[in-house]
Amino acid sequence: MKPKLVLVFAGLAALALASQLPGCAGVRGGGAGSAAEKVYVKPGEHDAYYAFLSGGHSGQVYVYGIPSCRHITTIPVFTPEPAVGYGVDEQTKAMLGGFTWGDAHHPGMSETNGDYDGRWLFINDMPNARIARIDLKDFKTKEIFGPIPNLSAAHACPFPTPNTEYVFAASRFSVPVPNREVKIEDYAKEFRGVVAGVKVDPKTGHMSMGFEILMPPFDWDLADAGKGPSHGWEFFTCYNSEEAHDSLEIKASQAEMDYIAAVDWRAAQKAVDDGKAKTVGGVPMLDPQQVPGLVYLFPVPKSPHGVDVDPSGQYVCASGKLQAEVTVYNFAKIQSAIAAKRFDGDQLGIPVLKFEDVMEAKVPVGLGPLHTQFDGKGYAYTSLFLDSQIAKWKIGPPWNVVDKIDVYYSIGHLMASEGDTRHPTGEYVVALDKLSKDRYLDVGPTKPEAAQLIDIRGPKMELLYDFPTYLEPHYAQMIRAEKLKPIDVYPLAENANPAAVKRAEDARVERKGTRVDVYMVAVRSHFTPDVVHVNQGDDVYFHVTNVEQDNDIAHGFGMLWSSDNMQIEPGETKTMHWKAEKAGVEPFYCSNFCSALHQEMQGYVVVGARGARVAAVQRPDPARVAEVAQLMAHR
Amino acid sequence: MHYLVDRFQPAERRLIVVAALVLVPIFFFPVLPIWAMKLWAPQYREGLTLTIYSNAIRGDLQSINTLNHYVGMKHITPEDFREFTYLPQALTLFGVAALVAALVNRRWVAILGWILFTVFSAYMFFDYARWLYDYGHNLDPRAPIKLPLFTPPLIGFKQMANFKVLSIPMPGTLLLGIAWLLGPIAIVLEMRDAKKARG
Repeated sequence: MKPKLVLVFAGLAALALASQLPGCAGVRGGGAGSAAEKVYVKPGEHDAYYAFLSGGHSGQVYVYGIPSCRHITTIPVFTPEPAVGYGVDEQTKAMLGGFTWGDAHHPGMSETNGDYDGRWLFINDMPNARIARIDLKDFKTKEIFGPIPNLSAAHACPFPTPNTEYVFAASRFSVPVPNREVKIEDYAKEFRGVVAGVKVDPKTGHMSMGFEILMPPFDWDLADAGKGPSHGWEFFTCYNSEEAHDSLEIKASQAEMDYIAAVDWRAAQKAVDDGKAKTVGGVPMLDPQQVPGLVYLFPVPKSPHGVDVDPSGQYVCASGKLQAEVTVYNFAKIQSAIAAKRFDGDQLGIPVLKFEDVMEAKVPVGLGPLHTQFDGKGYAYTSLFLDSQIAKWKIGPPWNVVDKIDVYYSIGHLMASEGDTRHPTGEYVVALDKLSKDRYLDVGPTKPEAAQLIDIRGPKMELLYDFPTYLEPHYAQMIRAEKLKPIDVYPLAENANPAAVKRAEDARVERKGTRVDVYMVAVRSHFTPDVVHVNQGDDVYFHVTNVEQDNDIAHGFGMLWSSDNMQIEPGETKTMHWKAEKAGVEPFYCSNFCSALHQEMQGYVVVGARGARVAAVQRPDPARVAEVAQLMAHR
Repeated sequence: MHYLVDRFQPAERRLIVVAALVLVPIFFFPVLPIWAMKLWAPQYREGLTLTIYSNAIRGDLQSINTLNHYVGMKHITPEDFREFTYLPQALTLFGVAALVAALVNRRWVAILGWILFTVFSAYMFFDYARWLYDYGHNLDPRAPIKLPLFTPPLIGFKQMANFKVLSIPMPGTLLLGIAWLLGPIAIVLEMRDAKKARG
């Protein structure tokens, strides 16, 4: 009897557990066989990777699923997106700081121990020297840091350090520091570049100024963080070490060598903490002429673009874009040259190491090398802009190219699956091309950009898929899907917005002078209140709380005859300003299809004559409130 | 008559104790649900769940209520169920009765407890059916979507508008069933032993 009883209990326990399991999310795509089978993800199933593609001068971030190459969503970052009210509601409007344009280049995933941790995505706005932080719990832009003082265009940005201690930015266009009117002919004397180290709070992700370093007036281009043995260093490439201020196309392409700057960010932070910085433009600025030991330069052939540290952290790979080689540097050699003080002069106080002291290998990859990624299996992949190819080459002797594949056309960056971490997964590379020309259905002169998905699991690269993107992915990050666990709704109980109303009884309209605050509740399929009285000339603030807690039940709030619209996610409160310009009746409605009675989800603002008597507090009809309260009595 | 006032055989006495213990996860720590209702619709492939414990109703109550307001169904509110205030105590009482029967070792206490338990369980089942009927027949005439009056399934599957509804007993009910079955099992075993002793 007893063993049987135990069995019965075990069975019951299993049953109880099974009943608690949520619906399973399908097998990950990317099977074996033909290219078509490898990219096919069955309806209802999910991709194996998230890819975050920068939106370039659209100012946004595109989210794709890999290997299906399906566009999943677009995250508004530096550009208003009226569909969801980004840059329209008061909070995001303030975050955009008056800008309506950004040029987003390089997404940088937050890291722990040199691997993606899936917490945040940082991305730069190059022209306005800003860095945004997207929270990957809800795929929303949470913070925009900057414009960073003294910095002129943040291109080498953000390229986080292995534990996301810092994100960086460096001037692409040197300007006078501090900026003032000077003779442009005095470029070499008056202009300066700046490298900025921006601290990231390890818990909240909040960004704050760490330090700035005054650099020679070169055009600082790309960056990468050291890892493993090179942890603690950030590397920056530059072009225009010729210091031209006009006709750069010719004048900045004359020298055989430009530079990589190696920045010891721990030493820089210590120098600031020790009070060795001057305050310039409100931030601590370190001048290498006065504070030595922070930065070293070493020569790189021919206007390099990418600088990429291999997964081991030992090799630094530079792509000289006007040269047919990737130049590989050995970090151990860099360290011993610094320790032995074997310098070949300096640039504005920054010691220059000798090329032959630090160079490890030259890899003849092909024409126009721009950027390198890694597979974690001992190989590197370099994009070749002029050849429209990707070259796969061996890291280590004999430093040779083992495979090449055509891409379409004029590839800029490339992205490998977790390919800039300590442990790349070595499954896919995506080519991010600058020209698409004839690859897709013709849409006239403004062509989309092109991207190709390439399988790198085998010894030979295999082209799997070709897909267009909107303007203009520069760089991207690809992370294994299971590392992200986004939320479905904002818990209403945790909504601490002071303007939130969680029950219809609390919905109301308050006025103080000509400011009117409407505390409104949205739930399927009505707003409370749905009739609001104001006067002409009033500044009306709609604080709308979506009290739903159901997956994907967002409500919109759009005013007719206006540009004022926003989307409120379940559990969220958002505030939108609307000016009552003229007397009359103005309808509003739910602009995000929510339910069977979505069309009925609407209301009116009755705008009376300027200065007419309106109650200081309006509450919705009690019978109506009772009805709605009953609906909402369960939380 | 002497049968009723008789003492238990040791084996049966143990069974009665087991019957009391089996009830523990339902009443003392109401961790095991008694009944569950699962609702699927095309856009709710993962399903919405209502789980009933001896003292609570949990799950996607808010979502279900939000949807139900379209058809004018009364809102499911835990405070509406007086059952939750006496159900754990009642079950505790039956457990205690079984323990007392084993302790005082009198067959009539066990049989009386078992009969009351049977009647009570039948009543609760009827009560549950009454609630379901009430929810499906007490619809707000002003509801945007007019449904014919209905009763959600007591047990098993039923298609209701765009929802497939499954109503099933949960492990708590199985434990109740086991506790209940232990009564007749004890008697059968005892009668067999008595027969053996006579023969």
